[in-house]
Amino acid sequence: MKKNAVPIALEENLAACHVCDRVQDVALHHCQRCGAKVHARKPESIQRCLALLAASIIAYIPANVFPIMEVTQLGDTESSTILSGVASFWRIKAYPIAITIFVASVLIPGLKLLALGVLCATAVGKVEMSPKRANHIYWLTELVGRWSMVDVFVVAILVGLVNFEGIMSITAGPAAVAFAVMVILTMLAAHAFDPKLVWDRMRKEAKV
Amino acid sequence: MQEPSKGWPRAETASEHAACHFCDSLQKVVSLEEGKDAHCSVCGGEMYENRKQSLQRTISFSLSALLLMVLVIIFPFLSLNRSGLKSSMTVWEAATSLWEQGDQMISVATAVFIVFLPSLLILSLLYVTIPLSLGKSLPGMVAIFRVVSMLKPWAMVEVFFLGALVSLLKLVKLADIAIGVGFWAFALLMISMVGALGSVNYFEYWDRIEAVRERMRKETFS
Repeated sequence: MKKNAVPIALEENLAACHVCDRVQDVALHHCQRCGAKVHARKPESIQRCLALLAASIIAYIPANVFPIMEVTQLGDTESSTILSGVASFWRIKAYPIAITIFVASVLIPGLKLLALGVLCATAVGKVEMSPKRANHIYWLTELVGRWSMVDVFVVAILVGLVNFEGIMSITAGPAAVAFAVMVILTMLAAHAFDPKLVWDRMRKEAKV
Repeated sequence: MQEPSKGWPRAETASEHAACHFCDSLQKVVSLEEGKDAHCSVCGGEMYENRKQSLQRTISFSLSALLLMVLVIIFPFLSLNRSGLKSSMTVWEAATSLWEQGDQMISVATAVFIVFLPSLLILSLLYVTIPLSLGKSLPGMVAIFRVVSMLKPWAMVEVFFLGALVSLLKLVKLADIAIGVGFWAFALLMISMVGALGSVNYFEYWDRIEAVRERMRKETFS
């Protein structure tokens, strides 16, 4: 080890509690401050993250393919998917809103799935990436995840508000559930990932 | 030793070190002046921060959020008028009408992310922060603050507000829309929630909780 190197908690047999951050001996099973279980690393981080990721990819497909809501007007039912919603805003030249929906509903979830996949690959050494960049990607992934829920809430508001019996009503389509499930699963996947694994990998490779 | 003008109270049993969330480097915990933050010397990630008047701000924002949440539930959020047919809904009704139409999953998600979790977070924050500001501890404080740390990302008040803005734009072409008291209350609720949760630095709070509990224990035994 280099001189003056900053000690690593794991190498000193210490671990920061995942809930309250208290640094303590890994051998203590429960945190001395908040009582949570003490682990040096999040348990089964990569497996859990990948499993949740696989489930979110499965949900991502129906979320984008099936209609997210159905508008019934005087007996005619018109269903719209997320992308057709974006397109209709684009057609009436409401560009900022079209872009917002596209970014929040299609781009962010897609990029998030990709980012978590790349992070997992980096942590197991399949992809080379500087750990600092991995930190930034992880931080962003955790930050933006919840904003994808926006389309589900749009559906909730429209369904609640537009309900004129026989004249016009809006109902939620199958994509709404798929979408909500996808967002929840990706948030859980991001939470399961432990960014320290990327640094562990780098240190291990530096030593070899 | 603690310096009262700098940093926050730490227990004698508090760990001398903190580990970086990202790279696991051990760093000595230092007292920060208000408004300053500490970064990891290895990877530069933020470790903790001494936010300005954290306790007072959390209490005032939480109290206003609590009041606004009541207004949000009671008053109409948006109303529609389409050739004489009127319809209006509160945030709560957005969730219940989904339930009635058979979309239980989205209904529950809306109710939980917009009403239940934010309310639970506000009440829990008050339960922890008010005694902390008085230098007291209450039973269950640790368990309740654990809940706050874990549930924070799941309160989606600001996301719902963005959803409301998008809905407004979708509805403009369909009918006349009236913005209700509930809508304005919701906008303010969003600001209060962001203010309340944004004033909490978890590192600081856990240190304070540990310090208060240690002091109370000593007082009971002496």
